Amino acid sequence: MTDVEIDWPWQYSFPPFFTLQPHPETRSKQVAAWKSLILTYCQKTKTYLIDVREASQFSLFNNSTINRKLEHNVIISILSELHKTGNAASVDKAKNRWEIYWHTLEEWASMIYEFISSRGMQNTVVTLYELMHGEDTQEEEFYGMQQDVLIKALKVLEGAQMRDHIGRRCSRCKVF
Amino acid sequence: MRRRAGLGAIQKQKLEQEKYKDKGNEIQENQFEQMTKQLEVFKVNLEEFASKHKNEIRKNPEFRRQFQDMCASIGVDPLSSGKGFWSVLGIGDFYYELAVQIVEVCLATNEKNGGLIGLDELRTRLIKARGQSKQHQEISKDDLMRAAQKLKIFGSGFNIIPMGKGKYMVQSVPGELSMDHSSILQQAEKNQAFISISYLRRELNWETERSKKALDHMVDQGLAWIDLQNPQEKLYYFPSLFTACVNSAS
Repeated sequence: MTDVEIDWPWQYSFPPFFTLQPHPETRSKQVAAWKSLILTYCQKTKTYLIDVREASQFSLFNNSTINRKLEHNVIISILSELHKTGNAASVDKAKNRWEIYWHTLEEWASMIYEFISSRGMQNTVVTLYELMHGEDTQEEEFYGMQQDVLIKALKVLEGAQMRDHIGRRCSRCKVF
Repeated sequence: MRRRAGLGAIQKQKLEQEKYKDKGNEIQENQFEQMTKQLEVFKVNLEEFASKHKNEIRKNPEFRRQFQDMCASIGVDPLSSGKGFWSVLGIGDFYYELAVQIVEVCLATNEKNGGLIGLDELRTRLIKARGQSKQHQEISKDDLMRAAQKLKIFGSGFNIIPMGKGKYMVQSVPGELSMDHSSILQQAEKNQAFISISYLRRELNWETERSKKALDHMVDQGLAWIDLQNPQEKLYYFPSLFTACVNSAS
């Protein structure tokens, strides 16, 4: 886990934040706070994948200062909420491994498209590596992006008829 | 001489009683008239005083409090009368404005504290929102209390809960809070914003049932959060008393 300074919200030091609240209104406030905290945390730490089984290793779900942890099933239910808004998706059937999209795939896709078109690179073949780690993309939000997530974002472009199938096997793509 | 219980005696008695009554009424009327006159004079003087010190009233919280006390002692409420000379003074306006700002702060913080806020936090936030000039900054807790009292006319949605030692909380959600609930808040305030059934038993000698009923009610009102990860027992937390929540910017 990368050690990045997180601006923890006040709830993070509030012990009951780590217990799912029974009162519906309070719970919805709690879940909303968790959703935004998870996205902020993942964006700051560039975390693309969360394995719920290893959740206690994330300071996000485990505040050792107050000795409180978020339970697995609660994490899963919050991640499922994030799934509804396109901000997360489980990648295995047991719902243990989750990809987190602090930008939705659509947002990622349009960012990549912007990048490509701003450089007049339409219709040229670009490797995934170039997008993820190329010199040109260093300033881009998607720099250092995880390949699985990148491919999914590119598939969105493909669905929008803006990317060609070719070259997928050899980690290249072409954007029109 | 033997007194005879005749018709004459009864009539005589009746007559006497009537005379007493008349005299009594006369005296009462006299006194009333005098008092009305006195009050009238006092009111005129007060009016004069208020218009003379209008600016002072708006600017100086201590002066404001004394003026209010003075009004209260003669049964005049400069806040309740929007008509007449009081409206000219703008004293009511001062408090109405404050009341609106109180509602705004309560609404803005409802998201995190569930509609319960300490008077100190309320004051800090309100002052921050009011702007920089000195006149805007000098709002005393007394002013806030008076303005908040006025909000009670909107029904049970607004309430001031005394916490002892000059501390108060303002509740801005409907739902009555009883003495038990106030006591719980007082205890939680002393105990870093949380409370438990055994704590209440120790401090207030309450039966489990009593504590449980009161605490569950506060959870149902969205005022308390539960924490099940304490090894000993279930804890009840109040965000409105939790320091990090009180101090958080949003």
